[in-house]
Amino acid sequence: MGVTESLGTVVKAFPQARLVAFADLSSRMILASTGPQSTTQEYLDRLCDQARTSFDDPLFALSVEAFGEPNASVIMGPDTVRIFLRSDVEPADALCCICDHGIDLPAFVAKIRSTLESITHAG
Amino acid sequence: MNRGTLPILARLHSLQTATRILPGGGRVISEATDRNPVAQLLRVANETMLARSLRFVSSAGPSLTLDVAGRRILRVTDAQGLVDAEICLGAEVLEDEHKDELIKLFQGVAALRHELHVVSGPVGRGGEEVSVGLPVALLADLLLIELNVTEPDEDPVEIVEEVAPPTAEEIAAGETGLSGFAAAMGPALVAWLIAGGAEDGRTDGPEEMVSHLQGFLDDERDALERQFDILSATPGEAICMILGATLVEGHSIVGARLGPAILLGVIEGDATTATLAAWKAALR
Repeated sequence: MGVTESLGTVVKAFPQARLVAFADLSSRMILASTGPQSTTQEYLDRLCDQARTSFDDPLFALSVEAFGEPNASVIMGPDTVRIFLRSDVEPADALCCICDHGIDLPAFVAKIRSTLESITHAG
Repeated sequence: MNRGTLPILARLHSLQTATRILPGGGRVISEATDRNPVAQLLRVANETMLARSLRFVSSAGPSLTLDVAGRRILRVTDAQGLVDAEICLGAEVLEDEHKDELIKLFQGVAALRHELHVVSGPVGRGGEEVSVGLPVALLADLLLIELNVTEPDEDPVEIVEEVAPPTAEEIAAGETGLSGFAAAMGPALVAWLIAGGAEDGRTDGPEEMVSHLQGFLDDERDALERQFDILSATPGEAICMILGATLVEGHSIVGARLGPAILLGVIEGDATTATLAAWKAALR
């Protein structure tokens, strides 16, 4: 299954997912994305930058100091939830997701974790 | 529909829309129930062919004054109550490198759940000389905004959802605000503290952990606010961020901002189950 197809299975399983994207954080690039939310390249670039920021100081340093390097972040705002997940084995590989507040977060996190693992291992 | 007719239909729609004029000559372009005040700001700028100065004023207080001509933003001539406006204010003519800062100013003045007014006047500095500036259409594309609206916008926002710092009574009841978030998280939130706002000084959990969080916040509060701002749609927006190895086991760090208050805490075990409901409790 290709990357876009893998992302598509996430969106299909979770209608509250507006956008699911696969990014290379080291090169600051979204490599593939899918979902009902319309986007521009600039929007995807910003999403990728937000993923990098979420894994940056100062909260990153606090987490590392206390518990070790984090690979997952959830950011909740007034209207949406963003979930950024990095690969355990290849930290530059990440999924960047935008969801409605109605998302089943535990199930969604489990699904994107397995999706990211399959993409990373396939690559 | 022919794409060429869209701007004409959009203009007709705009002309047919009831206008509320304010004392002093301003008009309301976005109601507090509008889902996208920035879109209304850009549409007004996009309707301005001749050089004009447009002063946008939020009922929340901030204002932003722009020189606009030929569907382009030429320059920023004044900004009140908006952070980091110096970069755009210092530019004689806005260029591509200013677009991100300009968008932040738009988002700051066109705040959700507040009325937005516009006052039109003679163009500011620079007269009516031809300038390049930034095309409104480019800024709209970056924000995924459709400039040519020929039908009413989507459903209005519910004002009751306004995110405001909790009242003293609500805090005492522990039902809302960041205290409400902590209460709704339950025992998974093993240590936390709140700094700033009416809930300042509230803590729970082992003293050693709380003390460590307090020390971190004392040193890094400004940096944490900046991190939150980068991750928010508008500076100062309510935000909650959880960072962990897996989010479902081990420990995770939670940081949240609601108005002037910041919560910093440690979650043990599953950080995904109670989180969304707890955040909704905080925003209630």
